Amino acid sequence: MIVNDLVRQKPLTAAQWTKRIAWRHAVGVLAVAFALFPLIWMISASFDTIGSLSAQKLIPNKPGLENFRTLFGNPDQPYLTWLKNSVIISSANAILQMFIGATAAYALSRFRFKGRKLTLMTILVVQMFPQLLAATSIFLMLADLGKSIPFLALGQTSALIIVFAGGALGINAWMLKGFYDTIPSEIDESAKVDGASHAQIYFRIILPLARPVLAVITLLSFIGTMNEFLITSVILGGNQKSLTLAVGMQQYIDGQYNAHWGPFAAGALIASVPVMILFLYLQKHVVAGLTAGANKG
Amino acid sequence: MKFGNKTPALIAKIMLLGALNAFTIWCVPILISHKTWLFAIYFTISTLVLDYVFLSKKRIAPKYIVPGTVLLLMFQVYPAMFTGYVAFTNYSNGHFLDKETAISVMVSNSFAPVGDATNYMQVTKDNLNGKITLIIRNNDGSFGAGTRDAFRPIPTSDVVTNPDGRITKVSGYTTLSDDEVFAILDQFNDFKVPIGNSKFYSVSDINAVELVEQNLSYDASKDQVTDILTGTVYSPNNNGSMVSDTGEEIEPGWTTTVGWRNFSKVINDERYRGPMLQVLAWTFIYAGLVVLSTFFLGFLLALVLNHPRMKSKKIYRTLLIVPYAMPSVLSTLVWAGMFNQDNGIINRVLGSPIPWLSDPWLAKFAVLLVQLWAGTPYMFLICTGAIQSLPSEVIEAAQVDGASPRQLFSKIKLPLVLMTLAPLLIASYAYNFSNFGAIYLLTGGGPTIISSGGIAGHTDILISYTYKMAFAAGKGNDYGLASAVSFFNFLLVASMSIYSFKKSRTIENMT
Repeated sequence: MIVNDLVRQKPLTAAQWTKRIAWRHAVGVLAVAFALFPLIWMISASFDTIGSLSAQKLIPNKPGLENFRTLFGNPDQPYLTWLKNSVIISSANAILQMFIGATAAYALSRFRFKGRKLTLMTILVVQMFPQLLAATSIFLMLADLGKSIPFLALGQTSALIIVFAGGALGINAWMLKGFYDTIPSEIDESAKVDGASHAQIYFRIILPLARPVLAVITLLSFIGTMNEFLITSVILGGNQKSLTLAVGMQQYIDGQYNAHWGPFAAGALIASVPVMILFLYLQKHVVAGLTAGANKG
Repeated sequence: MKFGNKTPALIAKIMLLGALNAFTIWCVPILISHKTWLFAIYFTISTLVLDYVFLSKKRIAPKYIVPGTVLLLMFQVYPAMFTGYVAFTNYSNGHFLDKETAISVMVSNSFAPVGDATNYMQVTKDNLNGKITLIIRNNDGSFGAGTRDAFRPIPTSDVVTNPDGRITKVSGYTTLSDDEVFAILDQFNDFKVPIGNSKFYSVSDINAVELVEQNLSYDASKDQVTDILTGTVYSPNNNGSMVSDTGEEIEPGWTTTVGWRNFSKVINDERYRGPMLQVLAWTFIYAGLVVLSTFFLGFLLALVLNHPRMKSKKIYRTLLIVPYAMPSVLSTLVWAGMFNQDNGIINRVLGSPIPWLSDPWLAKFAVLLVQLWAGTPYMFLICTGAIQSLPSEVIEAAQVDGASPRQLFSKIKLPLVLMTLAPLLIASYAYNFSNFGAIYLLTGGGPTIISSGGIAGHTDILISYTYKMAFAAGKGNDYGLASAVSFFNFLLVASMSIYSFKKSRTIENMT
């Protein structure tokens, strides 16, 4: 439709353009400036060798890598360990959340069994009680369990990963079931005729077909876990060595804005850039995923 | 496609099930020894169910659902229910143990020194069983060998001392040098040698013990603790503590149910009621303002930047979603730096030290501004999607009927977009309602509401308020009270979800 309009309409004269289009660019540029300023400010701070909040300029004073050296050089704030923890926890969680959701969704979409509607309803109801609000209980529960099972103790990254895996079924199963429903069941039928087991149909037909959706879900889980602060700080907060970037960087900068500003910005830059590139690269799919829920009403 | 070999899958299945069973067999006895009955039972049942489901040929659907469900029940359903339980208890610092353990800790910790003399002691290892044993010189000059369990006299002739009086050799034992003792020093933290009559030798130095006496004793039939030395009687109060007539409490207390006390505290106690109402009102207003402001800015941008004759729309779109792509924890902390009162860029540009994060109203404004920045890209994206899928016939028909651009906007486009996006807007409201990081990382919930005793702040929302009740340093770690407020938060969030399910007809569409 848009293409047709362009073909049909004559090119705008300069006067028309000024009247009808120019202000739109002005608004766009203003909005972009607002959107990008914190990022630009952070980038500038990370290369500013003076490294303090009060002396920072938009164009860095004597640009250099001093902040990165400070960041990596101080064992009291083990940035690389935090980065490693974040990547491990986020990857493990992204894969587990995707897999648990995708697996349950397969059964809910493909099999007709007793209790199916009940399961769907239960998942829906459970979603109403997010883990986030139960942070206190999860803390008390792990304080108790950790006495018996070391890898479920407070301060252990493994405990955090398992707690997050517990929330997985509620998060993705519904949405993925909706997606599987759109894959024609004739495909499974013909595979069944070829002698495929249910597991083979799942792993070798359904999962590959759903790959784009699963990739987006995995990415969003990854970013979500990277960003998770509350439960992460409650479970890992006491153990410097097992902190994630989100919690570690907050503890690092808290109350020390002026002194730690430069190295903090450097650390934030390193952590943000890969995530942002991945996000912008997949933006088309991400947007499709975001609006998926909107078309039902 | 060929579907031949199923052996690798079978091997994988057997190994996973084996690992699961091994784990359960290993951990259930440990859980039982710690009296963690509930999880011991849960692990056993879950393992049996999983074994049955995966070894049975028939149970196909459960194979896909049960593993996730086992985790879901343990880490999402149970914590939610446990929150409900904790809300009716006094779980807090000093009330962490069950009653039996608390009393035994109370009694065994109650040591009063008898006199102020110390006795010479040498750490040794028993040659027979390798146990750490203390060789102690009694007041009368005789020697004894003491462990945590017993004290047994040894003949003076077995002991060789040097001229300083230090023990150098004991037959049957190997003496440890001071360095060796330092290496295992933490073993002696509560090393007490019972010598009868509730009296103990307690390690006070690397070469010394002192005589102490257990001064509390518990009488189970009367449920009372008595101080043998002073004669004071302590009885349990209704808050899980042993208290004397004069109101003196013994540490630690225990966890007990306290009925509706946490709830009534929030409703009746002035230190909580005022701040709680304020936090609650701000939570609703905050979430509402964030959704409204981000939606309108996002919608406006979507309208403005969606003109068919406009070039470089894609570039705008990519740049505008940058705040959404940036990890929000880090971007919020960057904003906190920009709002810094003395050195932040915002005040440096404005040229005056405006207390952005420490004035009640300015802090609210700052929180909203940062969320406007962070939330607009999402709204921009979904509005762009919704505008592009508006039925063009309807718009053309309205144009033919002579609708002005303004009417087109307010009578056609806005209502249609709102209708499409309603479920997402409700979800966004619920999300912001518990967006902990947005508040905590920028203002820490502050500035403090003075009447709240330092816990609640002017920008606190329910979830950051409960977090501070439970975990803020030096504020008493009141898990019971925090759970009561969380419980309330659960109710609010759940009713929002129900409303949104109704709105999006999720349940009717369930097939």
